[in-house]
Amino acid sequence: MNKTENKRWQRTSPFAVIYYLGRILKGIAKNAVQSLAPLAAAVVAFEGDLKTRIGYAVAVLVSVVLAAALARYWFFRFRIGANAVLIREGVFRKTQTDIKFDRIQAINTQQNIIFRYLNLVTVTFDTAGSSGDEGRLPAVSLALAASLKERIRRERPVLLEEHEETSAPARTLLSLGTGDLIRIGLSDSRALFLLLLIGPVAERLEESVGDFIDSSSIFSSFRDLDISLWGAIGLIIGAIITLLLILLLASVLAAVLRYYRFTLTIDNDVLRSQGGLLTRHEHAVNIGKVQTLAAAQSPPLRLMRRFRLQARQASSGKASRSSKFIVPLTESAELGVISSEIFGEEFPQPDLHPASSRFQRIDSRYVRSRTVAFGVVPATIFTTLLLYPLGWYALLALLWIPLTVLFSILLYRRYGYYFDDNGLVMRNGFLGVRVIAFLHRKVQRVSIVQSVMQKRRGLANLKFYLASGSVQLPYVSLELASQLRDFVLYRIESSQRPWH
Amino acid sequence: MTPMFENLQLATDDLPRIETIEWQRMAPKYVYRRLAGALLTLLFIAVGMGVAHALLSIAAQGGESDVSFGWLWLGFAMLALLLIAWPFISVPRMFYAVRQRDIVFRHGVMWHAVTAAPFNRIQHVEKSSTPLDRKFQVASLQLYTAGGSSSDLRIHGLPAKTAEKLRMFILDKIGGSIEQD
Repeated sequence: MNKTENKRWQRTSPFAVIYYLGRILKGIAKNAVQSLAPLAAAVVAFEGDLKTRIGYAVAVLVSVVLAAALARYWFFRFRIGANAVLIREGVFRKTQTDIKFDRIQAINTQQNIIFRYLNLVTVTFDTAGSSGDEGRLPAVSLALAASLKERIRRERPVLLEEHEETSAPARTLLSLGTGDLIRIGLSDSRALFLLLLIGPVAERLEESVGDFIDSSSIFSSFRDLDISLWGAIGLIIGAIITLLLILLLASVLAAVLRYYRFTLTIDNDVLRSQGGLLTRHEHAVNIGKVQTLAAAQSPPLRLMRRFRLQARQASSGKASRSSKFIVPLTESAELGVISSEIFGEEFPQPDLHPASSRFQRIDSRYVRSRTVAFGVVPATIFTTLLLYPLGWYALLALLWIPLTVLFSILLYRRYGYYFDDNGLVMRNGFLGVRVIAFLHRKVQRVSIVQSVMQKRRGLANLKFYLASGSVQLPYVSLELASQLRDFVLYRIESSQRPWH
Repeated sequence: MTPMFENLQLATDDLPRIETIEWQRMAPKYVYRRLAGALLTLLFIAVGMGVAHALLSIAAQGGESDVSFGWLWLGFAMLALLLIAWPFISVPRMFYAVRQRDIVFRHGVMWHAVTAAPFNRIQHVEKSSTPLDRKFQVASLQLYTAGGSSSDLRIHGLPAKTAEKLRMFILDKIGGSIEQD
């Protein structure tokens, strides 16, 4: 019998209650209105002192949450069978999940600060094509998690190149230092998004702030304090900068919490990332199961000359965290190393650097066509519709056309592609830039789409559907699109290797 | 042993080209199936508008109704014209072809699309037909590939018998169990 195999149903550690408490509290926080509404209604409905009522409500909430966590622990059983992990759970709605070993793509683990002292870990099974995590084993021993990982490694189908009984030692590909964590925090798009939102508002601030100061009672008190108009503007700008700084600080803190001591290692054909300050996350991906590899640069990352890497596995179409393997920050040199490890000799040295000279441009008629579709047509319709109520002011809607031209040129300049016999690399973006690479044989189906205008000009959009999502190459010549499609079909149909 | 690595040079001109294949048309009755569907939709809208018109007229007997049904009925007539004409425009532009290793579907009026789904990527196949489909002896075939609903290929308007034959042929190709209807 296998070391991991156990014919009896077993419970996890009683400390799993901590895990369930976390999940329940997270659920309450996510749906705060729905979860707490009955309790709030009870507080309002009952008579008596408000403090006592709130006290009772909190006591009820704590008892219910504790009871729910205990019940979920009590009704959770699992069994490691000969070829599957079986999980029985549920208090009222009983479910039994059978996770076949050959369907498991990877085993991921999470270890919070309490579990770390107790040598416990929460195991998540990442299965092909599932929309989320199919199963979890909360608070199991590190030894069990390790033996499960070993079991999955052995269950993997033997590939042609794996005939050799070699077991290379794990190599570290990347380690992130403190400076990198700060960079990750600073490149957080949420802070940038706020900045972008504030940007246009700030321009109008100067005009409207005067009116606001006149009408606001808060500012009338400032007037009494003899603060000038410019002083008030400075105060507002100061407040915005403080808010931004707080936001950036929160982003850096979040990066430290999630990626502290982040390391990326390769262990035979498994890429593994580890990191986290309080909760230590371990995420693994089998290289053979990677469908696409994308290197993205948001505007802050472009300034820092760094990339964010994302390797995607098969997913059911819904955005699933487990189907994405993320390397939050890499330098240009590391980008080449990681992509070479993932694609190996099958697609030697795909250059994922956006500035690579290998990229070819798409057809320039993309700009004209996009300008007509998204600029000229809507602007003309709006101007016509608004001409009667607004008069000549309606012509202002025509300003949308030069803006669309500008956007279209930006998008056009970002688009680029190159391919060889094994794979395709495509670059796109608007403010940021993203380069995505995949092997031809991993494609699930392929489409050529042409609008009436494209058909007239011998152009086409080529769309590749992969198990992790689709990739569209727009505005290439129909001849090239047809040749590439036929070649990709040939590669899919003649390849003997598994696509996942 | 060194890892096996294939990198054979190919003459791309010798590859089988989709442009050279012989396309099959959809079931001839599919136009009438689509027309029947359009007429049912129009009937549903007309009844709804008629009831609303009557109720608002009764309610506004004392005064004048705010809703100008003349324009709404004109809009309805234009929609009816489009929905009735559309099957005669779109169905003749739908084709399919089955090759040794894949199935190809061509469709679209404003956007012309040619999609090829290799059999060795199809996970399972489903034949379906609505009561209206059965009345006109047509069926749809849905080919499921990995990657969620956006990756699935749906071919409507196949003759019912062809759809069943295709289902069995594809199941045989993908190595699934065959259950005859």
